[in-house]
Amino acid sequence: MGAKPTDKDAEILIKIPISLDVPIGPQHPAIHEPVMLKIYADGEEVVHAEINTGYNHRGIEKLMEKNSYYKDKFIASRICGICNTVHENCYTRAVEYIAGLEPSERAKHLRVLVMELERIHSHMIINAIMAEIIGFDTLFMYIMRDRELVMKAKEIVAGHRVLAELHMFGGVRRDIDDVKKEKVLDILKKLEPRIKYYRRLFEEDSSIYSRLAEVGRLKSAEVLSNSLVGPILRGSGVKSDVRAEDKYDAYGNIPWNMVVRPEGDSLARMLVRWDEALESLEMCKYILEHLPQGSAVVDERKLPRTFPPGEAYARVEAPRGELIYYVVSAGGPNPYRVKVRTPSAVNIINSAFSYIGHSVADVPVILVSYDPCISCMERAIVMDLKNNIEKRVPLKYIAQWEMQ
Amino acid sequence: MSILKEALKNFFSKPSTIEYPRKVTITVEKDLRGMFYADLNKCTGCSLCSIECPAKAIEMKKLPEDKKPRHNPRGLYPVVNYMSCVFCYRCVRVCPVEAFITTPTHQLSSTREVYSEDLTVRTLKAIG
Repeated sequence: MGAKPTDKDAEILIKIPISLDVPIGPQHPAIHEPVMLKIYADGEEVVHAEINTGYNHRGIEKLMEKNSYYKDKFIASRICGICNTVHENCYTRAVEYIAGLEPSERAKHLRVLVMELERIHSHMIINAIMAEIIGFDTLFMYIMRDRELVMKAKEIVAGHRVLAELHMFGGVRRDIDDVKKEKVLDILKKLEPRIKYYRRLFEEDSSIYSRLAEVGRLKSAEVLSNSLVGPILRGSGVKSDVRAEDKYDAYGNIPWNMVVRPEGDSLARMLVRWDEALESLEMCKYILEHLPQGSAVVDERKLPRTFPPGEAYARVEAPRGELIYYVVSAGGPNPYRVKVRTPSAVNIINSAFSYIGHSVADVPVILVSYDPCISCMERAIVMDLKNNIEKRVPLKYIAQWEMQ
Repeated sequence: MSILKEALKNFFSKPSTIEYPRKVTITVEKDLRGMFYADLNKCTGCSLCSIECPAKAIEMKKLPEDKKPRHNPRGLYPVVNYMSCVFCYRCVRVCPVEAFITTPTHQLSSTREVYSEDLTVRTLKAIG
């Protein structure tokens, strides 16, 4: 190293724009949706974030208008792979309100059982992905292994690991007997210590704590004014859960507690998910032990072909928050309009403000999937001080010029 | 020398991964929604399964004239394309004569299209 250059020695001056534009996504930014986050960073600090969506538009709402109510039930459950049962439940209840059908008590309990099993595995998978993003791949593998137990329970109850297809207008499509009940109870017994262990790990492990605590802190007023829903809402100390407010299906008959944490940071949201998974586990046990007698399965051959005119609005608490279906019927076999508002739409589009002020590494989706250096190809201005010429060149040019 | 020994040992030993198609490690429930096909001893050729299919995976085909059963005057029978099928079992549940035979078979991946035609026609041969 020679002597430190002074201002007098300078021949050129390089002006670099203060903010770098870091696009994250849309190709699999470590989350399920192909969403693009455009992060403007000043050094390491995020100063502005834009969220671009529309990469996964499949025209499902239009498709549902073109198909019959019965086909739509299967289309609705394919909107989301992880929370397919809640989509099914919401659509089924909306159509039931139009048609005036009422499922039996046993059917309602079985619906809640599958929805709660789904909530457990959904919360497990999002915690596993969080572990992967913070670089804790072993934990990811462990959680995914234990998630298979829940998938098996869902297979026993509904017939498939992922797509349950349990709902039908006026009831459910399969019933469970005592053998299956014992099998599912056995699985839940095995699962409980594992979930408790992972919850303790997220609470006590110092590396998880240092990566998640105080990151993305949201005040309850911010959450409410940006209409964020689900565990984000409850992680910021707002007591809101559709299961408690609407008491749809059998939620009125099952004892359960709403999980609320006041901290509002990323760690609080993950811990809310673990606590909810434990709460769901208790609900599943209660349902299996207190399953009402009677018939649950509805004969699909005797259901009406056409539905009366009318409109219905149904909402459920999906694992990610409040899910809304609005179904308009003009009579006949097809619905006139089906409007779906998923919780991810509100949570992702309205959350741009929460990235501001954090470092780029704290934008969680960036960590595994993207190297921000690649797209640092912003333009810089090179000024020749001797000849007083100003020209714009890419950063790549400077790198090559440095090497010469 | 020990490296050579190790290499020879590994050359003759089996891979530690599961040899999946040869060694079946997955056990599924008996009533899993798996492969299914129509029983021609019951099917009346009403085409309701084909109309109700959300994935348009069922096509109605005609039986040859000499093989038409008495209860199936039109001689139609459903052929399921397992590559399009989503295994929702809507066809199984709406069938007015419960003509579908269900199995928990789920390992159906193939490089060519797989249809239920052979399985269905075989049910007719069983009664002669």
